[in-house]
Amino acid sequence: MAEEKLITPGPAGYIPTPGAFMGVELPPPGKALLYGKIVDEEVAMREAAKAMLTRRNPTIFPGPLVLWGWNAAAMEKAKAVLELAMEIPNCRIIPMPDYRPKYPKIDPEAEINPNHPNLTILHNKIEACIFVGVHCHYANLSLRMIRAGTNCFTIALCAEMGHEDAMVSLRDVHAEEIRRFKDVLVQVRNELGIEWEPKLPPENPSLPKEDWTKISPLDFGEYAALLMPRKGEIVEETE
Amino acid sequence: MGLEYVRISPGFERYMPRDYVDLVKFGQFGKQVDVMQLGQFKELVEEHPMCAGCYMAYFIRVFYAALPNPEDTIVLGTAGCARLALSQAAVPFIYGNYGDTNAVASGLKRALTIRFPDKVKDVVVIAGDGGLMDIGFGMTMHSWFRGEKFTTIMVDNEVYGNTGGQESGMSPKGVQLKMAPLGKKFDKINAVELAQVAGCVYVARISPTNPKRIAKVIRRAIYAAREFGPTFIHAYTSCNIEYSIPTREVLKDAREREKKDFKFYEWMTDEVKEYLEEIERKEKEKAKQEVK
Amino acid sequence: MPDQRVVEPEYLLLEAPREKKFITGSQAFAEAVKRANVDIAIAYPITPQSETMHLVGDLYAQGYVKDYYRAEEEYGAMSAIAGAVRGGARAFTATSGPGLLRGLEAIVSWPGHRIPVVLGVMTRVVNAPLSIQPDNIEISYLLNAGLVVLHAENQQDVFDFTLAGFVISEKVDVYLPVVVATEGFFVTHAKGYVQMPSEDMKLPPRDPYKAPVPPTDCEIPPARIQRDAPVQKSNFMSYLIHAVWQQEVWSANRRAMKWIYKYLGGPVEVVNPDAEVFIVASGCAAAQGREAQRYAEQEGLPVGLVKVKSLRPFPEKEVREALKNAKAVIVPEHNIVGWLAKEVKSVIPNSGIVIDGPRVYGGMTLPVELIMEEIYKALGIKKEKKTVV
Repeated sequence: MAEEKLITPGPAGYIPTPGAFMGVELPPPGKALLYGKIVDEEVAMREAAKAMLTRRNPTIFPGPLVLWGWNAAAMEKAKAVLELAMEIPNCRIIPMPDYRPKYPKIDPEAEINPNHPNLTILHNKIEACIFVGVHCHYANLSLRMIRAGTNCFTIALCAEMGHEDAMVSLRDVHAEEIRRFKDVLVQVRNELGIEWEPKLPPENPSLPKEDWTKISPLDFGEYAALLMPRKGEIVEETE
Repeated sequence: MGLEYVRISPGFERYMPRDYVDLVKFGQFGKQVDVMQLGQFKELVEEHPMCAGCYMAYFIRVFYAALPNPEDTIVLGTAGCARLALSQAAVPFIYGNYGDTNAVASGLKRALTIRFPDKVKDVVVIAGDGGLMDIGFGMTMHSWFRGEKFTTIMVDNEVYGNTGGQESGMSPKGVQLKMAPLGKKFDKINAVELAQVAGCVYVARISPTNPKRIAKVIRRAIYAAREFGPTFIHAYTSCNIEYSIPTREVLKDAREREKKDFKFYEWMTDEVKEYLEEIERKEKEKAKQEVK
Repeated sequence: MPDQRVVEPEYLLLEAPREKKFITGSQAFAEAVKRANVDIAIAYPITPQSETMHLVGDLYAQGYVKDYYRAEEEYGAMSAIAGAVRGGARAFTATSGPGLLRGLEAIVSWPGHRIPVVLGVMTRVVNAPLSIQPDNIEISYLLNAGLVVLHAENQQDVFDFTLAGFVISEKVDVYLPVVVATEGFFVTHAKGYVQMPSEDMKLPPRDPYKAPVPPTDCEIPPARIQRDAPVQKSNFMSYLIHAVWQQEVWSANRRAMKWIYKYLGGPVEVVNPDAEVFIVASGCAAAQGREAQRYAEQEGLPVGLVKVKSLRPFPEKEVREALKNAKAVIVPEHNIVGWLAKEVKSVIPNSGIVIDGPRVYGGMTLPVELIMEEIYKALGIKKEKKTVV
């Protein structure tokens, strides 16, 4: 692209100017944003696919609107996100289950928080990521902080009008559009000659492994009470 | 809406952090838990930044365990200590401006009533003595005068704890605190009596020494607010920092205050009494059947 | 109350046939609310606003508005509005002068809380000394909060801005409160012609799920949601989150411009674009400026008018463009500080051409003659002053 790119991977610095202040406008329906310029969806999708296929540690950050199965559309979208993840070589999924600042801190391998998304990105050395199912306000906060302090290539699959501060921003993205993006990605992958058998990304590292030596009473759910010593009961030996 | 919004999308169970998986599997959503079993289920609030030995933190823990309908409850707070824990809970929380809780709750409850006339949506304010009886006094009173249907819980630590220990209207007379360098010159405000006069249909004062009783009072206040009008709980939740109570003696202090000015007190209108008796009778029957 | 059918905002605002009525500014506010499918209105009395909220109360009694009450005071009213909007309702309220300042702590927090609502501001002097007369100094307090601020010239503007205000405020890329300000008494208590679509139509109801933040109604994830996150740990991360949050509010404010073009025909109106001397004005002063421009045209003088409809987002480009060949700029205002003159100076490269004034305040009217004097001065025309004793 000979034209000047307005929105590029950072680090943009201490306090970067938001895209909207630089004159970036949200795309009309049917169009997309690529480096802050309005382009055809196909063009933006190809560039996004290339970033996810060629940059280090590509990661999908699903937000609450796909993580929680609050309606049929959300569940369908979640399915599509998984299908997309399967096609990206060595992709990871790190969820953003909610938006509150967390005390005392988050586990950057297990989740991403909109109040300090750069911690997760820097910890995992993520250089390309996709935001999907995050409410626009919080996505914008995150995208701006990521551009400020990291070299991550950000892609926003927005269900509404899009995001100025992502390098690639598609709008009106639901399950069907995610699948269309997946097809484009597979096509670009084949063009680049990358061989990959579709498979699901690794599971969340915070989840308990099936290791029965370190079991907690919580693992017994409603039967946990049975494990607790009763009043006056002294457990001296166990099987 | 029920449980749909706290259900993990199929396929994503293996990508959620453990915290959330536990919340769904072993948490309180869609169930009634017994507060005596605290520690045996995934609580709605766990990690929080309140001081060691804080009795307010304990009260809030019991509060969340006592919620009759956590998946359809909204909690409001304001500046002060309580919101440090409230904002960490798995229940939607609104933090507005200084002392605005009861005005925000009025608007919120009305909006929910317009939008969901046939659903139960519990709105609960938990704010401190400063938030409700000083800066937010007018809004607290007027929400009661108007008969707004939500619960107000005052976690009274008798001091502005979060801003560094200043006198509040609820501090006892004579106590020397910041901004009262010669000791407080007037009496503790009688919040319970005010609530009764202002139109609350259920009023309680407790020193939280007995978790079962805390839970019972909270559930009664929430049930009564659904049908009849404003309800109010005045809870003593000492500030062990500003009042220099040794951590292991906070319970002892609560018991002592219970014998003096925080005697358990409960008042309700006749119709509320009838209504609660009916609910509690049904709950007991249900519990009996489950045992069988 | 007639059965109202829901129509698309584009149709109601831009296409529907309109009928001419002769009504006051207060009535114009109420007529807009009537067609806006408002869920809840919360009122608190203060002159000159009260009449508007009386009329909205009547709408509640008739069934146009679903809930309505008189609040304890403005801070309570504005806080309750924030609660209702978080709960997913469409809300309206209005205030004036001292009432606005009493509610200000809540009002200026709305943008950060992402509260889409319409607030009517009927200007009145700020005490002391006490007075109830129009003076729009209070608008200057609203300009630095992230609110979208529209300034209505007359009753027609009041109607159009208010109805469009609901639509603009709820756009996903905006989601900010929209203030519709107009001069108390001069507009609110005086009648003017207003073209309005039929009252048997209304806007679609608010869809709180089409939003950049979730409503607090326990219907949408996340369950652990805190929209108004206190981000106060003293470390760089919490400074940065606050910084980008503010950036988001002001980005949203800029995004409103696109919708102001779509629904209000743009943030400025330019009369006689080839003129040498321009009057730049907003609100009631624009009406007087319009008269002055007409007088000047009759006298064959090269005078134009730039009416600023939107104070936030401020039409920087548009004002700069309109004034690029101007030799002098006159900014008549209804306040002593001259907030509009400062705005205009800040966006043009040659701010020396801006004449500060004429300004009236304390509730005085703004005679066209005052503006004419400035025009004559700017064009080097000497007029003899007649003194009648």
